[in-house]
Amino acid sequence: MKLIFAGILAGLMATTAARAEDMVFTSWGGTTQEAQTKSWAEPFTAASSVKVLQDGPTDYGKLKAMVDAKNVTWDVVDVEMDFAIKAAKDGLLEPIDFAVVPKDDLDPRFSNEHAIGSFYYSFVLAWNKGSVSGEPSNWADMFDTKKFPGKRTFYKWSAPGVIEIALLADGVPADKLYPLDLDRAFKKLDTIKSDIVWWSGGAESQQLIASGEAAFGQLWNGRVFALEKDGADVGVSWSQNLTAADVLVVPKGAKNKDTAMKFLAAASSAAGQAKFAEASGYAPINTKAKAEMPADVVKGLPDAHVDGQINLDMNYWAEHRDEIATRWYAWQAK
Amino acid sequence: MSVETEQSIAITRLPAGLGGLLPALTLIGLFFVVPVLALLLRSVTDPAPGLQNYAALLGDGTYARVFFNTFLVAFVVTVVTVLVAFPVAWMLAIMPPALASILFGIIILSMWTNLLTRTYAWMVLLQRTGVINRALMAIGIIDQPLPLINNLTGVTIGMVYIMLPFMILPLVGTLRAIDPMTLRAAALCGASPLAAFRRILLPLSLPGIAAGGLMVFVMSLGYFVTPALLGGTSNMMLAEMIAQMIQSLLNWGLGSAAAFILLVVTMALYALQLRLVGSKRAAGGA
Repeated sequence: MKLIFAGILAGLMATTAARAEDMVFTSWGGTTQEAQTKSWAEPFTAASSVKVLQDGPTDYGKLKAMVDAKNVTWDVVDVEMDFAIKAAKDGLLEPIDFAVVPKDDLDPRFSNEHAIGSFYYSFVLAWNKGSVSGEPSNWADMFDTKKFPGKRTFYKWSAPGVIEIALLADGVPADKLYPLDLDRAFKKLDTIKSDIVWWSGGAESQQLIASGEAAFGQLWNGRVFALEKDGADVGVSWSQNLTAADVLVVPKGAKNKDTAMKFLAAASSAAGQAKFAEASGYAPINTKAKAEMPADVVKGLPDAHVDGQINLDMNYWAEHRDEIATRWYAWQAK
Repeated sequence: MSVETEQSIAITRLPAGLGGLLPALTLIGLFFVVPVLALLLRSVTDPAPGLQNYAALLGDGTYARVFFNTFLVAFVVTVVTVLVAFPVAWMLAIMPPALASILFGIIILSMWTNLLTRTYAWMVLLQRTGVINRALMAIGIIDQPLPLINNLTGVTIGMVYIMLPFMILPLVGTLRAIDPMTLRAAALCGASPLAAFRRILLPLSLPGIAAGGLMVFVMSLGYFVTPALLGGTSNMMLAEMIAQMIQSLLNWGLGSAAAFILLVVTMALYALQLRLVGSKRAAGGA
């Protein structure tokens, strides 16, 4: 019965049937996927004459349905690192073929047996210069409503980031963040709860800051980069910037697995990573990529702010995701 | 999806000769009944056989709050929609047909505009630095921005706007069927406009209000985009929670159980509504 259910689901979802020699790349849409298409898919097609069909947005439910129904129409999927760790454990992913994908130059923080880093980003503190007097410099300032009045915006969903920010603001040293002290984090968040406006997607976070609806907030650095490029009057602090990665995975039973591995090799190459980083403002996961990029672009990447940079612990999140989510939504709904 | 399912089933009446209905019944069975059964099955088998998903949902204060929010929002939206839609529908019913069809066109046009676009438009209008608040502050009516968004107010405004056509259309049909002479007769017999409304127009339009109200209420129960964007975290509705469980947390058993509870409650309300409307109709002699 479970199979029938999954079969129906996958049948309904199998809208992008690819020819045998093509492959399907799935990501989150928007400017990120555009950059991925330009930097990875198009050069890959030019070199191999394999067509790379684009699909999206990434949906973990769909991915699981496809694998359960043994009807996988996605070959390479851009997912969050903590999901990749858990999905690998649940048997949803193909192992990476390191005979095809060269491993030596990849930042070990953002790759493992089942996933190759796609790019990495930082959560940074950004503000609307018209709405904030002075310069907030770290997460503690974000919780100081006396020094910095105004609404602050945080990521709405239970995901690596906000809990850590609350703990850092409360004085927990960066190397003592994990295991997360949830009681302490929620107690700290309680102090500013009525001043929080939540953003649920990147475009919303930009809109909130650009319009001054929120004076400042926690944003993906690529979104701040895009705001600056558009001429918005925003400030940014890289102090205690929190890194997390998106990774590329191959769902178990993908029809074009071999092609997918070749695609991963191209996407994670120094050239592919350099191009993507330049287009998106996110950092490359290939350590050789920086050498191929203009210096002024490198300056704006999380790579240029490794001092005080804090790595969010994806292994911890993969293991405790459900438990944290339950607490998170209970606290939000209160 | 689940909401449509039970409506379709309930609306289908089975006359004596079933033969001609076979294709339709097969279709409904395949696309509506089977998925609902699969949903039910998943809710009691995933991740392990048993009722633990239901126990978790019903025993936890957070989920209870989300259920409560869902029905509260649907109820408030339905009431406000009726109040706003009634005068519009009445105007459409009594105005010259040519003019009415133009206004109808405008109302329908709003339904063709992308939902997300309309919801984002409301965000721009309602936020603290939005058009409405800035205008009100500029003319000096308020000196602090009103909290119009990320709360029940924002959800209500956004959803009422989207639901209005679904209320206006059935209501106009009912109102047009009312003989204007009945109102004139009431006036001739000395009834005040209020009395004529209360004792003639309102009772006669009840079937339309009930039909539209039910549609709005049931649609509101499963609403997703608008509450997610215009509401705050304390207004989370069931559809948003189910989407989180299915798409991000991969907790399909719990999501299925939540969806099934919503389905059962909706069906119960629908049955209740049918009874109420049925008896009112009888009392009104229609």
